[in-house]
Amino acid sequence: MSKRILNHPTEKETGPKYWRSLGQVADTPEFKSWVAREFPEGASEINLETSRRSFMKYMAASAALAGLSLSSCRREEKNLVPFSRGVEWSVPGKAIFYATSRPHRRGAQPLVVATYDGRPTKVEGNPFHPSSKGATDIHSQASLLDLYDPDRSRHFRHAGNVVEEKDFTAALEALVKDASDGSGIAFLTEHFTSPTFRRLRDDLAKKMPKALWAEYEPLGGEEARLANEAAFGKGLRAIPNIAKADAILALDCDFLGFDEGTLEGIRSFSQRRSPEQAMNRLYVVENRYTVTGGMADHRLRVQAGKVGAVARQFAEIIASKTGDESLKSVIAKFPQTPAFSAEQGKWIAESAEDLIAKKGAVLVLVGYRQPPAVQALVHSINAALGALGATVVGRKTSSKPGATIADVSKGIAAGSVKTLFILGGNPAFNAPADLKFAEQLANVKTVIRHGLYEDETSLVLRGGKQSWHVPAAHYLEAWGDGRASDNSILSQQPMILPLYGGWSEIQLLDFLLTGKKSEGLDLVQETFKQIARGIDTESWAKFLHDGFLAGSQAKAEALALSAASVADLAATFKSSEGFEIVFAPCAKVDDGRNANNGWLQELPDPITKLTWDNAALVSPATAEKLGLTQDQKNGLFVSWLRIEANGDVLEIPAMVAPGHADDSITIALGYGRTFEGRVGGREGNYMSHGGWGAKKSGVGFNAYKLRTLAAHYIASGAKVSKVPGEKYILAITQEHGALEGRGADVIREATSETHKHEPGFAKDQHWLHERGAMDAEAEKRDKKGYPIPQSAYSHPELKDKNHQWGMAVDLSICTGCSACMIACQSENNIPVVGKEQVAEGREMHWIRMDRYFVSNMNDREEKIGGTHLANVNEPRMVMQPMPCQHCENAPCETVCPVNATVHSDDGLNVMAYNRCIGTRYCANNCPFKVRRFNFFDFNERQKDKYFRWNLINEKGMADTLKMSKNPNVTVRMRGVMEKCTFCVQRIQEAKIAAKVKAKDTDKVQVPTDSFQSACQQACPTGAIVFGNTKDPNSAVSKTKDNPRDYRLFDYIGVNARVSYLARVMNPNPKMPDAPKDAIMGHSNGGHA
Amino acid sequence: MPQIFPRGSNLVPLKIAIVLGALATGAFGAFWYYWTPKYTRVGYQPEQPIPFSHKIHAGQLQMDCRYCHSFVETAAHSNIPTAQVCMSCHSQIQKDNPKLAPLREAWETGKPVKWVQVHKTPDHAYFNHSVHVNRGVSCVSCHGRVDQMDVVYHAESHAMKFCLDCHRAPESGLRPLDEVTNLAWTAPIKGKESAKQAQLDLGNELKKQRDVNPPVNNCAGCHR
Repeated sequence: MSKRILNHPTEKETGPKYWRSLGQVADTPEFKSWVAREFPEGASEINLETSRRSFMKYMAASAALAGLSLSSCRREEKNLVPFSRGVEWSVPGKAIFYATSRPHRRGAQPLVVATYDGRPTKVEGNPFHPSSKGATDIHSQASLLDLYDPDRSRHFRHAGNVVEEKDFTAALEALVKDASDGSGIAFLTEHFTSPTFRRLRDDLAKKMPKALWAEYEPLGGEEARLANEAAFGKGLRAIPNIAKADAILALDCDFLGFDEGTLEGIRSFSQRRSPEQAMNRLYVVENRYTVTGGMADHRLRVQAGKVGAVARQFAEIIASKTGDESLKSVIAKFPQTPAFSAEQGKWIAESAEDLIAKKGAVLVLVGYRQPPAVQALVHSINAALGALGATVVGRKTSSKPGATIADVSKGIAAGSVKTLFILGGNPAFNAPADLKFAEQLANVKTVIRHGLYEDETSLVLRGGKQSWHVPAAHYLEAWGDGRASDNSILSQQPMILPLYGGWSEIQLLDFLLTGKKSEGLDLVQETFKQIARGIDTESWAKFLHDGFLAGSQAKAEALALSAASVADLAATFKSSEGFEIVFAPCAKVDDGRNANNGWLQELPDPITKLTWDNAALVSPATAEKLGLTQDQKNGLFVSWLRIEANGDVLEIPAMVAPGHADDSITIALGYGRTFEGRVGGREGNYMSHGGWGAKKSGVGFNAYKLRTLAAHYIASGAKVSKVPGEKYILAITQEHGALEGRGADVIREATSETHKHEPGFAKDQHWLHERGAMDAEAEKRDKKGYPIPQSAYSHPELKDKNHQWGMAVDLSICTGCSACMIACQSENNIPVVGKEQVAEGREMHWIRMDRYFVSNMNDREEKIGGTHLANVNEPRMVMQPMPCQHCENAPCETVCPVNATVHSDDGLNVMAYNRCIGTRYCANNCPFKVRRFNFFDFNERQKDKYFRWNLINEKGMADTLKMSKNPNVTVRMRGVMEKCTFCVQRIQEAKIAAKVKAKDTDKVQVPTDSFQSACQQACPTGAIVFGNTKDPNSAVSKTKDNPRDYRLFDYIGVNARVSYLARVMNPNPKMPDAPKDAIMGHSNGGHA
Repeated sequence: MPQIFPRGSNLVPLKIAIVLGALATGAFGAFWYYWTPKYTRVGYQPEQPIPFSHKIHAGQLQMDCRYCHSFVETAAHSNIPTAQVCMSCHSQIQKDNPKLAPLREAWETGKPVKWVQVHKTPDHAYFNHSVHVNRGVSCVSCHGRVDQMDVVYHAESHAMKFCLDCHRAPESGLRPLDEVTNLAWTAPIKGKESAKQAQLDLGNELKKQRDVNPPVNNCAGCHR
């Protein structure tokens, strides 16, 4: 038999083009070489720092050591140590799940945490809670690593010196005695939602009536509060009801992201995105791509400062068409804004028409980062569109507006603040730059700082003679409570005693009230008693078990717009001029608080795919104007940008971001930290060979220094120029695992209109044949004469008649949020490898999130660098999660020389790590590029100690980090290949549970959908469905029956177990940017 | 020219080769034998902090295994009993026996007794007690006649082959569920058949009835 040649389809000259990076669009030689190689050039070689001479020295030393160890070759005596007294519920080696919650400024997250033998190992959403329903976000998933972070604060400090806890309590007792009415005392806290915290605060405010209580959140919602107050009166807030909206216009509002959005909102949006039901339609106006923009049916890119102008023009159309008087009165006060281009004008007009047509079932959302005037205007637009009471409901706000950080700053300047308590937050790092808060702290006599880390604020205080640092307890170590985004009361119970002896903030407040350190449990029970009107064992146990107090969620309130005060607020709008700088929350490190979390630092940003850094994002056109360049080698080599705004200068590398607005620069906050964290602090960004010269250490660049009280989110009129000379290396994963530009096959899309006539559009593979795909010499052909895909590899037996595992991913609802990646990392003990290794393409994530830009090849007039290219300025965006596809005819298996990767009876492509000798043939032969190789002992070594000789260099990780591992999954060592296992430990656990239950009978089939894979469990939209395909009632069987279901690379006959549901969009055909092709994915002439 | 080497030296290379070959074979054979779990593990009998006798408890007193190893039916790990469990009898019986001093100390101070591990699964293999015990594999299959041991020792090899022998032919070990902890049980013999045949007949019947299908080619069953 002659060798069969399997062709891949060629790309068409016209129609949509799917691409991941500008290098791919330009088809640079670097990109071609990247795709052709299994790993980038040099990735398989060690850049050994040691010289040859020292290498010989190490060799000699290690030989001597080997001799020593041989002579002591005895069996190690190991002990089995049971408890001396049994512990309730504890079964050695079995997980116990506790409900708890993670505090967050926009509402605590209801969680369930798995603990093994007393150590928490995995965070999941609380399936009982109506807002979570089992889903989580990346921050909750990753918070587990913070618990075990060896860099967390572990000492009480006085004036920088380590002291005992009793020294602090003695000083605090004295302070309480002198406090009297509280004059001279100020509290600066984070936004705590905890009812106990608020109860104690109110009690303390009664005891010390003259004390100042201020709250500061760098990404708080002060602007939103002002707008809500003007529109609906004090104490009321508008809450969107996304499930009821047929059409949504989001103005600079990332409501599908984890900062602005809620899990409930994300889920109710995605429930309306399946074309099998009535689809909603999403219009997005924003300056930079967000995950929300990626889900949009129509997206308009404008500067963030011009969103107000869009809103005004939009309001004008609505006011004239609906004749709404109050909206007219608001517009009359809203300052005139410059006109838009003809196409932008048409975009706004057509979308407004669509919303008017669907009046009563539409929703306009506005981002909290927009000025209060714009937000207030949007409230009145919603009123005019009949949204109030339908898609927008009211909710009573539970917190009284207190003082702000500016008030504290004024108090310090006036000398009226003598004792300052800083609870949480990190004001020395993230306070508005014009307050110069870090310098001001030196003028306060006594500062007591309570924090999880000895961060910038604590470091500033080390110089102060009367300053104290109190280590905070992590939320998994302390009793507490919180309010979820729907205002329901959540329990927070500790899983483990404080590892580093921290206090919770409620213990600190209570000390000020009572003069002694109380148990957090008593404080929380006292609150519960007041809220639940009594407490008994049963109600308390139910509260802890469920994780929330049933019936405590907020009730919907009626909203009535007060047009007059909205108009007054609208009058304060100012148009922006020139270059603008937009300060955006980072999807990973948030406002900077997660900076020392390696999982989050290494997670590629959902949009930019950037790791271990932030960068100034600019549009391709602006980059050309400024003369910025970038090329992908091992890492993205980018130019430096000098930004002058608000009286300060920031030098930061600039990255070209397709889909970004022109003359606008987005910088993620929270980077450039200088505290002593090994991951995200001063020493965090390890790279052994070059990269930044003298310019840089630490992770990312601090944009807070350009941010002022007035220009809190958008700074206009910035001066921007390129810094000539040296380049900076960004570790970016967008081209890693590129599938040789086969995007047209990998992603399949259509409009809802096409889907209606031809639901099976994604299944049709004939267009692939027409482009030369497949085995031209195949013997088996179908009726039309097209070859039937056949594999080059043998098919496994698959003997298990009860279980065959499979997965389906719905591309219509996947937002690309990347929660699955962190969940997988936590569940499967995936190591963090560091920036340098990511740049080399050695990141270890088992599931990656492929982000594709889509541009229409018919619009080739856009140019970059003089070459005709796809439209890179206004592409669409598609996300595709990519785990191991578990091919039935797996190409990786046949090439393994030692049978380390084989097929199991239940259809898994499994890895036996102990057999693997690390030839990496399998990774080379994997068409999906999902295999990961342990180039170094990532689990055993710190990221700057990978290279050196084994026995000499210090080995080992902090003991606490070992405690975070999942005991059911092997911790892999150097030289071993690994990849997604479909969470085989969960599969086996379920199978074992079924067998244990079956006892003497043959009922060994796992009950339908009785467990989930980690990625599926975390997914906020339910896009990932995993289960038993042999069970016709399982969710995965039903999903795979959907006509939209398709498998990747079917034409080479790999028979992947992971399938995708084709993406269906719901565009408005009247819009100027409506797609021209009915089947958007491959633009086949036969279908259009 | 006179010969440098005498005639007899012609055979020296051959002799050297033979000797080296014998040495290599010997070394290989020694490794083969001495590095297998059969040699390294079987017979391991460490001294325990308390000279606990399974022979007295399980044999003479007929205590069920699960009285002390209480989670063997629910968890992967078969637990060592807490001091509390021991003290439930020994607070009354033999309460002044000096050999039990470490136990009383553990009970009073809360510092546990450090028992020495006898049976060990390698870190790269996963073993679950509950699934074996609940499906009719007896303790005796892997641990031997513990009820006859004064001091517990490692009776079987626990090498991969040992596991696979049974996974490939589960009928050799299956028994009625209520006989799992009865270490002395053997399959009832019908007529003239041998004891081994009796076990196989019953085992095959049980295998069919319970749909027993242990992982054989599924590496992930034990390695994950």
